[in-house]
Amino acid sequence: MVGLHWADLLKVRAIAGSVNGSAKSVIFIWLWGGPAQLDTFDPKPNAPAEFRGPFSTIATRSPGVRYSELFPKLASRSDQFSLIRSMHSQSNDHGVAGTVGLTGSIAGAVGLDGKPKAGQARPTTGSIVAKVRKLDSGLPSFMVVGGKLHQGKKAIVGEGGGFLGASCDPFRIVYDQMNGMRIPALELGQGLTPERLEDRKKLNNAISDASRKLDSKSFSQPWGEHMDQAFALLLRPEARSLFDLSLEPTSIRDQYGRTRFGQSCLLARRLVQKGIPFVQVNWSDHVEAEEDAGDGGWDHHYRNFQIMIDRHGPWLDHSLSALFDDLKNRGLLDSTLVVAVGEFGRTPKINEKAGRDHWEHCYSALIAGGGIKPGMVIGTSDARAERPSSRPCSPGDLAATIHQAVGITSEQSQTLGITVDGEPIAELF
Amino acid sequence: MHFFVAMMCGIVGGVVYQVQDSLSDLVKITNDGSFKSHLAWSPDGKKLLFTRIHQGKMELCTVKAEKSAEVVPLVVPSPNTPHFDGHWSADGKSIVYVHDILQGTDGKLQINEVLADGTGAKVLIPHKAFEESPRYSPDGKHIAWVSTRDGNQEIYSLELANQKVQRLTQDQGFDNNPNWKHDGSRIVYSSSRFGNFEICSMKNDGTGVLRLTNDLAMDVWPVYSPNGKAIAFTSNRTGSYNIFVMNEDGSGVRNITNNKSINNFAAWSPDGKMIAFISNFQGSYEVYIKSVLQGKLP
Repeated sequence: MVGLHWADLLKVRAIAGSVNGSAKSVIFIWLWGGPAQLDTFDPKPNAPAEFRGPFSTIATRSPGVRYSELFPKLASRSDQFSLIRSMHSQSNDHGVAGTVGLTGSIAGAVGLDGKPKAGQARPTTGSIVAKVRKLDSGLPSFMVVGGKLHQGKKAIVGEGGGFLGASCDPFRIVYDQMNGMRIPALELGQGLTPERLEDRKKLNNAISDASRKLDSKSFSQPWGEHMDQAFALLLRPEARSLFDLSLEPTSIRDQYGRTRFGQSCLLARRLVQKGIPFVQVNWSDHVEAEEDAGDGGWDHHYRNFQIMIDRHGPWLDHSLSALFDDLKNRGLLDSTLVVAVGEFGRTPKINEKAGRDHWEHCYSALIAGGGIKPGMVIGTSDARAERPSSRPCSPGDLAATIHQAVGITSEQSQTLGITVDGEPIAELF
Repeated sequence: MHFFVAMMCGIVGGVVYQVQDSLSDLVKITNDGSFKSHLAWSPDGKKLLFTRIHQGKMELCTVKAEKSAEVVPLVVPSPNTPHFDGHWSADGKSIVYVHDILQGTDGKLQINEVLADGTGAKVLIPHKAFEESPRYSPDGKHIAWVSTRDGNQEIYSLELANQKVQRLTQDQGFDNNPNWKHDGSRIVYSSSRFGNFEICSMKNDGTGVLRLTNDLAMDVWPVYSPNGKAIAFTSNRTGSYNIFVMNEDGSGVRNITNNKSINNFAAWSPDGKMIAFISNFQGSYEVYIKSVLQGKLP
């Protein structure tokens, strides 16, 4: 053991264990906009008032670990998941940090300035898992519950398959309280019913063929494959039932909460129950709290504390707790990796609008199930949650941890041409 | 759904009080499934005003204070930008509210006023910083509201006749959610000056601060009863959000919703016999009315 550090040992263990991951599925919860670390899972009650904010802290089931008072349900379940308090990213631009968070790399990211970062954008983690864990059933291996992620009016880079091809793009499902579940790829025209879809399919095929001749780049084969998947889903009653939340008992639906996020988490559970390898739940389409068709993002430059009290705090606490309980009760938690994280944190110092601004230097992530050790706290932040003070973890590390949990080997990564800018967080295994 | 049911009765000073600690006597007013907040009862007792997030829009709405009533969006200028946290004037003719002017990924809050029929809109308090929670004084001569124009959230009072602004709170904590007593003599509010949000009251000039709650949990959105003798507020002291009622001096605290869901934004009926609030105890966030025969609580 001489000359071998503990960190090296952990790394060796992590690499050794990476051949067979315990996680059959991943639920990746994307808290778009960036939750404030101090108002969620890394409060600093001894910090000056202009940093700590107005919330008190509560004890958790993990000795010595306290959360913001807005998360009592998660606090009482802290022994079921682990918390990373030392996440840090590379940019305070939603677009760039979003790409980093979803792909583990800044390559190809585009921010507000519109200039792409050097390199080709990597496939998102869900696409990589989908490529390795492609289902024989024809069902998509990577589904996103929620609309496309935007910064302002622009969709961000990094939510798709990248060089793995369009066939690894996510199959998207959207839920809202008014209209229920929708499949955007299959927006039906007026009066078009599933029974009439066969004709519609023929029409689409004809259009696709014509389009391919015109522009082979825009309408490649994988696009057709994806559309086939979509039609297959709607035409098969058993597949359609996957998305039918009315099949769930009212009590279960209520447990998750009748918000978009709550019902999206419930749908994610239904999907992993059917073996979908990777389900991403987007809390919102846009980062802003008010300008969103969903529950409103976490980008709380103003009204942060009121929004946290009235909406985001109880909603996240309620729905994520319900997801943990439901997975556990069904015996799915051991085989389902759950990750909840945003693209960055928020400024420890409260701004002049009762809000917090972007802060990429320190934030938190929750991780549970799928062979991950529960009840751990990885890393610490400094006295004001401004920087990691120990065990810094990057989005690349988190992506590598997901790869390890699902058992993506280094050989598979090499074969696919995937480079991961990070190491698995060995302490979690 | 199972609830603990208890009835507390007593006679103090010849006044009968009765608060039922359950949700068994509720009337469900709305049923549209959308998130709602910021509830206010119209002075004539016929309508409720609230904020709704519906199909991507944050908007003010009214609903008749009766079972399964239809939700009607309030017509205001620039209806597609967020407008929220409304409050009726004492005569019921006007509504003051927060208007959010979206600019890119940011927003600028200002306080607007509109006649109850949606006409006559005007800016009462232009954007200077974070401006929120406007509340008419009972005589209609002042607006109390929250602003960060001096650094953090403080409560201010605007004298409408001369536009004179008076700062009422001055401390490092957040001072939020102001609400006037029926005679205009005091304002109840939530303050984090003690470490977390507690309910306080002060005279209408900012002096005479009284701390009314003292616990480790969050106490917010206080509202005086119409006769000023009781205060309803939201607290998470049970682990979930419940509506509590207490005497105006902070004594006799009672949990009147007593469930494990989110119950928030209490509003007294003008006769003081009912409290409206927003709850998700049946799934979605809806407006409910509960009977409360108020009096002095032990």
